[in-house]
Amino acid sequence: MVEARRPGPSNAHQRMELVMVHAPALSRRRRAALTVVTVLSLAGVAACSGSGGSAAVPPGAPGDSGKKADDAFAKAPVAAASEILPGSTMEKIKKRGELIVGGSLDAPLLSQQNPVTGQVEGFDADLGKLLAKYIIGEPKVRIVNSASETREALLSNGTVDVVFQTYTITPERAKQVAFAGPYYTSGLAVAVKKGTTGIAKPEDLDGKTVIAGANTPAIPAIKKVAPNAKIVTFGSDPECVQALKQDRGVAYVQDQSLLVADGKTEPELQVVGEPFTTDPYGIGLKHGDDQMKKFVNDWLKKAQDAGLWQQAWKNSIGTVVQGDAPAPPAIGSVPGS
Amino acid sequence: MDALLGNLPALREGLVVTLQLTLLAFAGAFVVGILVATARVSPVPVLRAAGTFYVETLQNIPLLVLLILAVFGLPEIGVQAELFTTAAMVIALYQAAYVAEALRSGINSVPAGQGEAARAMGLGFTGSLRHVVLPQALGTVVQPLGNIFIMLTMNTSLAAAVGVVELTAAANRVNLIEAQPIPIFVGAGVAYMLLSSVVGFVTGVLERKLAVAR
Repeated sequence: MVEARRPGPSNAHQRMELVMVHAPALSRRRRAALTVVTVLSLAGVAACSGSGGSAAVPPGAPGDSGKKADDAFAKAPVAAASEILPGSTMEKIKKRGELIVGGSLDAPLLSQQNPVTGQVEGFDADLGKLLAKYIIGEPKVRIVNSASETREALLSNGTVDVVFQTYTITPERAKQVAFAGPYYTSGLAVAVKKGTTGIAKPEDLDGKTVIAGANTPAIPAIKKVAPNAKIVTFGSDPECVQALKQDRGVAYVQDQSLLVADGKTEPELQVVGEPFTTDPYGIGLKHGDDQMKKFVNDWLKKAQDAGLWQQAWKNSIGTVVQGDAPAPPAIGSVPGS
Repeated sequence: MDALLGNLPALREGLVVTLQLTLLAFAGAFVVGILVATARVSPVPVLRAAGTFYVETLQNIPLLVLLILAVFGLPEIGVQAELFTTAAMVIALYQAAYVAEALRSGINSVPAGQGEAARAMGLGFTGSLRHVVLPQALGTVVQPLGNIFIMLTMNTSLAAAVGVVELTAAANRVNLIEAQPIPIFVGAGVAYMLLSSVVGFVTGVLERKLAVAR
């Protein structure tokens, strides 16, 4: 027991001794051998799955795009002191010196943490940094990993200042939070494994098993077009792709740009037809904070006029979707915004 | 509140899946747990080592990791079952390690004289375990087993991460449309609480019935 309380040189060592208290019958050497065997067998499983593993990060030159993004932040506008009203949310953020954004760390192209640099990259992430630069003068952002079940609460209790997280504007949500924007319009599309027949349009999914990302707008959208489809959900995009490859479902419904990105790394994947929904993404703000909403809308307009919005699109979604950046949706054009 | 009441059918479906998952997994965990506990107290060194290996491996890997390995890893080597079946089996095997440890503590609590007396009467290892030691051991571990059952009920929510639409996943889906997380998840929480209080009540009754007079 005395040994267990002694601070060990490392966590692993400490943990081992704690476990030993539970099983005093095992000698230290036998336990070490057991751990080695366990680790080896796990490594074996990992090695087996290595060949089929899918890359979570879409192709592209991350270093390059990172540099371009830096340039964009250098040019990005900063709000005049007169626009930061005394006592407003903007002033609070400026005093704090960082913008707290509710977002994702695992959404490719939109908001994904680069495991090498630790930086969060993507369209949503860049817009967050641009907004931070506009308020504070520096692109200083802290991303709080949020989920669809926590976003409304995080905004209303003030844990986060804004939400940039493929947050589709809906009238139900607009009762809980305020939406600036819409800042982007996207659509859901259907992907299948190459060689699948009988699925040409979303209605063909009726009665079939369909894969979707947990907590994505795909779930209600599938229910609408194909009420008898069985929906299986997985937490992240790479998991959904893996599930499709393993025939856990006949199709995968996801944001079209994400599917295009997946198609680049997974030649087995095929996108069928055009997007079948129109999802206007809004910037989530605290309900009733009209000052902040107007401020954010003004910023969005400026960022679009200065070409920064288009630049952010080019650096992220534009790396997989061909052509120029689309025209941004009109601010306030959607019910709820 | 409407968000909760208007979606009761969807939530009820999730609750049924949670119940099925809980009962199947506990039945599996109980059977495997007895086998593993027997191995751990057996006089055969190889069996003892295998039992220890099983318990240490399963207890020292988080359930979520096991679930993801089984759902996405096993198909890579040609083993693939339905998501529900996979989840039920993984949860059963994981909880079996805990059941085995609870049973072993119960077996150790039976005085050595009981086992010796059984041997003296001519019962073998299996016989003395089955007729003398295990019945007494079970009596003392009703409460810990009840705790494991409750833990297992809560752990079934991890199956939501691998595509099984049980109560937590159902609540998540309802919330996606309604955007009312507090009433919806409080509702789901109350359902889990009711489930575990039923388990608590049943273990209380069982404990009084199976109490070993010493």
